[in-house]
Parts: sequence; structure tokens; C-alpha cells
Amino acid sequence: MEEEREEGGKVRALIEKATNSTAPEVDPRLLKAIKSVVRYSDRELRLAAQTLMDLMKRDHSQVRYLTLLIIDELFMRSKLFRTILVENLDLLLSLSVGFRRNLPLPAPPAVASVLRSKAIEFLEKWNSSFGIHYRQLRLGFDYLKNTLKFQFPNLQAHAARIQQERRERERRSKELLLKKFEMLKENFSSIKEEIKSTIDEIRECLDIVCAKDEFMPLGPIDDEDFEEFRSSELLQIRLNTLREGQKVHENNDNKVVFDALRELYKLLVTKHLVSVQEGISVLVRVEVADNRVRDSTLKELIDIRNCLQSVKKKCEESGCAVPNTTSCDDEEEDFWEEGKIGSLENERSTVPNNQNENLSMALASIELKNRTLESNNRGSNDNELPSLEGGETGTNSLRNKLLADAPMMSWGYFLNNWGSNREVLANQRGLELESHWGRVDYDAVIPAEKIAELNVHSTLYKEEQTEIQPCRAPLRKGGLCQRRDLRVCPFHGRIIPRDDEGKPLNHNSSKDEITLDSGTDLVEQVAKQAVKNVRERDKEVLKKREIDKRSLKRAKLAKIREHNDVVLRDAALASTSSSAAIGEDMEATNGEKLSARNKKETLSSMLRKKVTPKDRLAQRLLNTQVKDATVRELTLGEDSNYREAFPNQW
Amino acid sequence: MWKEIGDREAGKLRPKSFASRIKSNRIRTLQLSNHKDIVSPHRGSINSLQVDLTEGRYLLSGASDASAAVYDVQRATDYEAGGLIAKHKCIFVVDKQHESGHKYAISSAIWYPVDTGLFITGSYDHHINVWDTNTTQVVMNFKMPGKVYRTAMSSLATSHMLIAAGTEDVQVRLCDIASGAFAHTLSGHRDGVMTVEWSTSSEWVLVTGGCDGAIRFWDIRRAGCFLVLDQSHSQLGRRPQILECSATNKVLTSKSLSAGQSSYTKPRTQQRKVAGGNGTKQSLVGRRQRLHPGMLSSQDRATAHYGAVNGLKVTEDGMYLLSAGSDSRLRLWDIESGCNTLVNYETVRLQTSKPIQLATTQDSDLVFVPCMTAVKAFDVWSGKTSLTFRGHYEYVNCCWFSTQDQELYTGGNDRQILLWLPSRLIADEADEGPAQDQDNWSD
Repeated sequence: MEEEREEGGKVRALIEKATNSTAPEVDPRLLKAIKSVVRYSDRELRLAAQTLMDLMKRDHSQVRYLTLLIIDELFMRSKLFRTILVENLDLLLSLSVGFRRNLPLPAPPAVASVLRSKAIEFLEKWNSSFGIHYRQLRLGFDYLKNTLKFQFPNLQAHAARIQQERRERERRSKELLLKKFEMLKENFSSIKEEIKSTIDEIRECLDIVCAKDEFMPLGPIDDEDFEEFRSSELLQIRLNTLREGQKVHENNDNKVVFDALRELYKLLVTKHLVSVQEGISVLVRVEVADNRVRDSTLKELIDIRNCLQSVKKKCEESGCAVPNTTSCDDEEEDFWEEGKIGSLENERSTVPNNQNENLSMALASIELKNRTLESNNRGSNDNELPSLEGGETGTNSLRNKLLADAPMMSWGYFLNNWGSNREVLANQRGLELESHWGRVDYDAVIPAEKIAELNVHSTLYKEEQTEIQPCRAPLRKGGLCQRRDLRVCPFHGRIIPRDDEGKPLNHNSSKDEITLDSGTDLVEQVAKQAVKNVRERDKEVLKKREIDKRSLKRAKLAKIREHNDVVLRDAALASTSSSAAIGEDMEATNGEKLSARNKKETLSSMLRKKVTPKDRLAQRLLNTQVKDATVRELTLGEDSNYREAFPNQW
Repeated sequence: MWKEIGDREAGKLRPKSFASRIKSNRIRTLQLSNHKDIVSPHRGSINSLQVDLTEGRYLLSGASDASAAVYDVQRATDYEAGGLIAKHKCIFVVDKQHESGHKYAISSAIWYPVDTGLFITGSYDHHINVWDTNTTQVVMNFKMPGKVYRTAMSSLATSHMLIAAGTEDVQVRLCDIASGAFAHTLSGHRDGVMTVEWSTSSEWVLVTGGCDGAIRFWDIRRAGCFLVLDQSHSQLGRRPQILECSATNKVLTSKSLSAGQSSYTKPRTQQRKVAGGNGTKQSLVGRRQRLHPGMLSSQDRATAHYGAVNGLKVTEDGMYLLSAGSDSRLRLWDIESGCNTLVNYETVRLQTSKPIQLATTQDSDLVFVPCMTAVKAFDVWSGKTSLTFRGHYEYVNCCWFSTQDQELYTGGNDRQILLWLPSRLIADEADEGPAQDQDNWSD
């Protein structure tokens, strides 16, 4: 009995502990403990229900909120708990939703609104899962929904709708696939025929070309020459040229064949290959009752694709067809784009144009030599190009370097004779000096030094306009704080780098700052040491405070000491601002240590009204002195206006 | 229960006492029914509920949206959740759209006590309509001088068909269905009449409770009222006897009575029953006749409640009267002596602005009282709360206890009609429905 009573105390204590927190969630370990205690004893469960209902009556929304979370957990699990709870469902609802006008939800309004929405959500969930078994649930749900017109999140229906939509979509796509499959089945033979004929034609063309090739000189003649080339790049170039030599070149004789071949190639790539690919993908995705037809068709299609690809490769190797058809038509390309090829930035322009057809030939031959099976030679393109166009890139890089070094000047007339040290004729500037008395020396010269002196370019120091970063702390009503302050936002504290949702990027920031003064390891070490010292001191202070908690006087003393410590710490860290930041970051990453402000956050502190900036402003602006002053000023202004308007009246 | 059946088998228990035991057991287990729903078509608060007296099958409800509806409480119209929940939709509803329907809230809807062919509605639009149930047409219409708060017909009456109507007006009017005219105008109240009730022992006696706090007894064969209940006129001394009297009616419910006492009291009550209440009334009337024409003014000004009387209920045996007032009190009156029995009911608060409808069980040991959002069942004789029915989300206006099936119907401002049934003895596993209601511990 004794033990049982103790046990009874246990669940109560657990629940009270779990609800006595400012966190937005119940501590999962406590929750688990509560569940495990309650699971094996009905008595405990009854006690838990009683305790929870008592807690729901507390005059604090946070307590009610956490209690509600626990209630939900138990409600979804225990039948007995449900039967106990639905007896007083109206009370529970009025305490959690606050629909009775004489029983509004208690103090922290932010938590209260969360509580309300959560309660409504839970009620909906309960109703959907247990509504049939409990009339009370149905009644409560119905009352809130139909009489009080509360907006329920309608999660269930929402999910169902999404599911439905997805199914619909799938069904439609399946139908589409099926239709495509049917089409394919119908057209398969004709497609096959077409492809076959195209391939045959290409083969014939290739045969013709190759037959012409027969008498071309074959193989490297001067193998012994290779040793002379030291650099492998040069060797490669050499090889390329040799290979190129072996190639069939387009000339007047075989132009017609090449044209036909090119045409056929284009047809092959743009039509047949694409259609075959499409067919394969359709076959892979489609679900039909008869798999045999599908499989056989798929097999055939794959065969055809392989065949096509081999033919395509042959075409490309034969050099008649340009591997990439897109760049065939832009004939004119200017030199600058060429330069960009060197910088490897723009991949589109790396495609060789017809102007340097030989280049592409060379590339093709390189590929041939390497026996790379890739049909697209862009990869090799990227690797090879810089070496081929080294000279161009060299000049470019020089210019770039100079550009990087050059100072930025604002525009002015002095730029007209920048760097010239010519002497200037003073009297031959188009000025009419005829009527001038005295002798005019047309040969008068202004010496170059003078000119330089006159053209001395003065620059005013302009403060570098650094962009002040916005605070970007997340706001309660959504969005991010757009205040721009140098270091500390008055609302959200220190400005730290944050991600798009306003979460601080702690690690990055600390890393950044460390890298900023990475060179000064010493400074870092000193700062770390200082932080460590301070932390130890903090610990001591904590201990001391715990001891001295009772006596008010001592507490005061401790506070003073703490203040002193804070000042000392600041002094210790205040060598640079970034070192101070290091300390704070380390403290933040430490995790266990919350800042003093957070530590003090309790349930009662949640109830205390936060002093908002508005309040502060109101205090400033609405006190009587200021009001009087404003009124006085306004009346004065009015008086003066009046006097100005009617100056002859007294 | 099995023991009782055994006793009955052995002849140890008399049939009536057996039945009453079973009934009281069932009543003790009343709870919100999960498997039987009455779907209220009303869009306003339910003001009045009554199951017909002849068959005990048709429920009549009157609501603030000027609609009245009839439900079959025995046969469900459709089922939900795989036959688990029986839904009783209304058979018909008469509302504002009806060409002769009421314009404003119906405050009272009652069945014609003889059969279910007629029902009567009283409304805030100053009218009382008598409806033919089968054609849902108004067969008779009475124009009253003010809002009608409550109508009542005597369930005993054999010689008259009078509708007693309590209205805003100070006068109580009796509307004769037979002639379609006002038969009587009873004046005596100094304020509107919230509630009227016919005696269950005499067809001639009418009880009215007014906003002036007075409860008046009228003998409709004579002019004027013959009794005004006075809350200060109490009879604490006679309570033991009252208890005995009631106990004889309850037949051995809780207290064991000595055989001699019961044998002594029983013939008396039976004789009274035989006399149909007339004999007692004769004596009552005879005693008061002297006072009557110009009853002593002090007696005439007596009040039963501080504030308005908004609920009256005569017990089934016609000997006691329960009254509820806006002073949040429930009082039990001994009709014969006209005394307050000083039973202290544990009511917390009662609705004050509207008439409320009370209900009693057949053997009058429980009274069901709408107490704000809950309905409470009090022991009539001790005043202790024996059951509390929580289910409504707003104030409850009316309750009706069907003695035949031991079912409680309650209607409230939240537009729901709730049904409270005795819990099933055997919880069927079969009809648990599609989703089992079981423990579901994940860890």
C-alpha cells in the first residue's frame, strides 16, 4: 500500500515535472516515463487523468498546452483514459479551446493561441479515430464545428484529397502510357522498316567513302621521328595531324556522298534515335497484362538502339558528320568568344565551328586514337582545347592581369592625355586673341611638368560604402527582421549570419571569424584561455548563488559580483570585437550553458508582460511633460502662423 | 440482477417490486448513448421535448427557430459506421416555411394526451396552434395576449379538452379544443406565467407558477385560485411521515418498512386512488372554501420562490409538487398541506430567464433537473445528487424521462437532443464496428 501510494505520487510528480517547463514540447523522456508508468496500472492511469484535468485548470497557457500534449499521447493509446476523459470533454474543451466567454484562455497569449489551434487539431484527430465509439467526441466536434464555426484544419480530408489527386494523376499517366504503347505496337513494323532503310543507306554511303579511302596512305610513316618530340603535347598534335592526314577529306568528288551521309545522320539522330528511346521508356514504364509482347518489343528496340548507336558512331568517326548538330549553322563567331573557350567558362562556345573544321577533325581523330567509346566528345574537348590554343589564352591572361592591377579612376578630361609628356602650345588652342594688346607669342609652350601639374588628379577620400547587413532574425508574424544595424539589433541582439529561415549559422560564423584572423593563432589562444577562465569563474558564481540564494543581502552582493565579473570578462575579451565573438560562439556551441537571460525563463516569467519597443516609445512620448511640451509648441506654431497671416491684427 | 430474477422465480419478490428494482437499476446506469442518435433538424435551442403518452414512441420537440419536429425513437431511419450508430431523423418538421407555421420561437410543444393524432405548440408569436399530426396542418389556432411560455393538457382529463396556457400576460387562459374558444381566464398572478401543470390526481386542478414567484392552484370548476404556496410555510415536522407515504408507493426501494406500517398506509392510498383524487380535493376545497373569494391578502401575496417560478412538476402520484425558481432553488411541496417540505436539493445554479422542463421517474424517487449545461438527477426525498449528465455544451432547457423504456431525453441551447440510455448489460463484441476501440500502446 505504501509502495503503491508512492507509485501514485510518481506519475503525478512526473506529469507535474513534465508540464513545468517553458519548452514548446514535452520532454520525450518524461513522456516515455509517464507512458510506461501508466501503461501497467489502471490506478495510475486514473490518477494521471485526474492530475491532467487538474493541471488543465491552471491559470497558465503553457501548463495547459503541455498538459494537452500529454493528454493527447495518452488519449491515443489508452481506452480507459479515453472513457475517463470524454466524461468531462466539455470541460476539457472549454479549458483548451476557450470557447466559453467567461472562461477565456489564460495569460501568455502567444501560447494560448497555439494551445487553441492544437486543441482543435487534436479534437479533429480524436474524432476521426474514435468518434464512432464516443458520442461525446462527436458532440464536441459537432458543436465546435457547426455551432461555433471553428475552422478545423481538416487534416484528414486534406490528406485524402491529395492522395486522390495523386491517384488520379497516376491513373491518367498510366492511360497515356497505355495509349502510347498501343500506338507503338501499331507502328512498330513501319518504324523498324524506316530505320532499317536509313541504316542501310548510311552503310552504303560509308562503304563508298571507305572504298575511296583505300588508296590513301596508311599508318604513321615516320615512327622514328617521334623520339624528337620531347613534349607529349606536341607529340599528340603531331599524331593528330598524321591521323588527319589519313582521313577522308571532303572534296568535290565525294561532296554528294558526304551531303547524303550528313542528311542521313541528322535523320538518324533527330528522329530515329529519339523515337526509339521514347519507345523504350514507354515500354519500361507501361504495365500491361501481356508481358510477352512487351518484352519482345523491348528487346528488339534495344537491339535497334544499339545498332543505331554503332552506326552513329561510325558516321562520326568517318568525320562526315558533325557530332553536334546544333552549332552547324552559326558560321560567324568573333574572336572574343574564342577567348572564352580558353577560359573554359562557357561550354556552349567550346563547340568548334565550321570555320575551324580541321580542329573538330583533329578532335575526332584524338578520340579515335584514345578509343574512347563516348559518342559525344565534349569531355575530351574540354581537356584538349586549352593546350591547343595556349597562345591566345596567354595574351588574354596578360591583359586580364593588367586589368586586375589597374586602378579604378573616375572619368575626367585628364584621361585625354593620360601618360603623355608632350609639351603643349599655349596659344594655339583656337582662342581668338587678335584684339589683345601686346605681343602674342604663338610659340609659347607649356612644359610637360606644368601640364602634369595642372592635370594632377585629386581624389577626395570617399568612405567605402559597406552594406550594412539586415538583422534577418525571424519575426513572430513571419518574415525576417529587416533592420540594419552595425552590430547589435535592438530587438534581436547581436547580428549574426543567418540562413534563409533566420536560423543562425553558428558554426559558419565562428569558422569565418576564426579564418579571418587565422593567421593570429596566438590571439585565438589567448581568447580561448580567457573564455575558459571566465567560464570557470561563472561556474563559481553559479555555485555561490545557489548557496546564497536565501539571504537577500548576499544575493545582492552576488549580483554585484556577477556584474563585476561580466565587466571583467568584457574587459578580458574586449581587445577586439571578433575575439569577443569567439567567446560567445564557443559558449553557444557549448550548449549546456544557456545565457543568463534564458536561464531565468520560467513559467512565471512567461506571464510577465514583455516590454515591447512600443511600450518604451509610449513611455517616452506619452508622458505628461512631453505632451505638454508638444501642445505648447503646437500652439506657439499656430500663434505665429496666425500672426503672419494677419500681421495687422493685434 | 440474476439474484433478483431468482428471487422472483422463487416468489420471494412481488412482480411490481421486481420491476421497480430492475427499473431503478437501469436508471442508475443511465449514460449518454453512443449507438442511438437523434438528429436534430433545429437551428435554434430546443425548448420542449415530449414523448407521446400513448405509445411511448414518438418524440416531439419544439425549438427556438419556430420549428417543431417529430421523431420515431424506436425505429431508426438509417445507420452509420457499419450499423453501429442508429440515426433517428425526424419524421416531419413544421417550421416557418409552413404556411401556418409559427413566426417566432416555439416555447412549448406537447402531444394531445389521448392519442398521437394531435399536437399543440405554443409560441412567442402569441399563438397556440393545434396540429393534425398526419396531415401536418393546423386545425385550430388560438390568439393569446402575449408570448406563450408554456402549454399543458391534463393527461387524466376525460371530461374536458382544455389547453392551459401560461403567457406573458398575468392571466392564465384555458383554450378549449372542442369549441375553439377560451373556456376560462384565470386571474390572480401579478406577472407573466412561466409554467403551468395539471395535477396528476385530479383532472380539474391546475398548478401555475408565475414570474411573481407565486405558485397557484386552481380548481377550474370554481372561480379564483384556492391555494397559493408559501415558502415560509414549511412542515419539517411531518417529514418522516411523508417519507413513509412515499415509501409505500415506491414499494420497498431502499428502506425496509415494518409490515404493520405498510399495511396501515397502503389501504389509505389505495382508497385515495380509487376515489380518483376527487375525495381529497373535496376536502381540500371544502377547507379552503371559506377563504376563497377574497383569500386573505397576506396569503394571496405569498411566494414560493424569490424571483420567478420557471419549472413545475407534479409527481406521478399527484401528492407532491416540485418547483424550480430563478433563485436557483428546487422545492418539494406537499400538495395536501400546501407546505414546503424543506428538502435541500444540491442545485448549484439554474437557468433563470427561461422556463425549464423537469422530469421525474415513475416511482418519483428521482427528479431530473436541467442545471445550466448539465442535467442532474436528484433524489427527491433527500435532495442528494445521484447522477449528473454532462453532454450539452450550452444551457439545457428541457428533459423528458420516458418511464416505459427508462430513457432520458434532454434538449438544450446547443440545438442537440441527447439521449441517455441505460448501459447495455452485455457489451457486444460483434458490433464494435469497423475500428476497434482498444488500447494501443506503441511502447
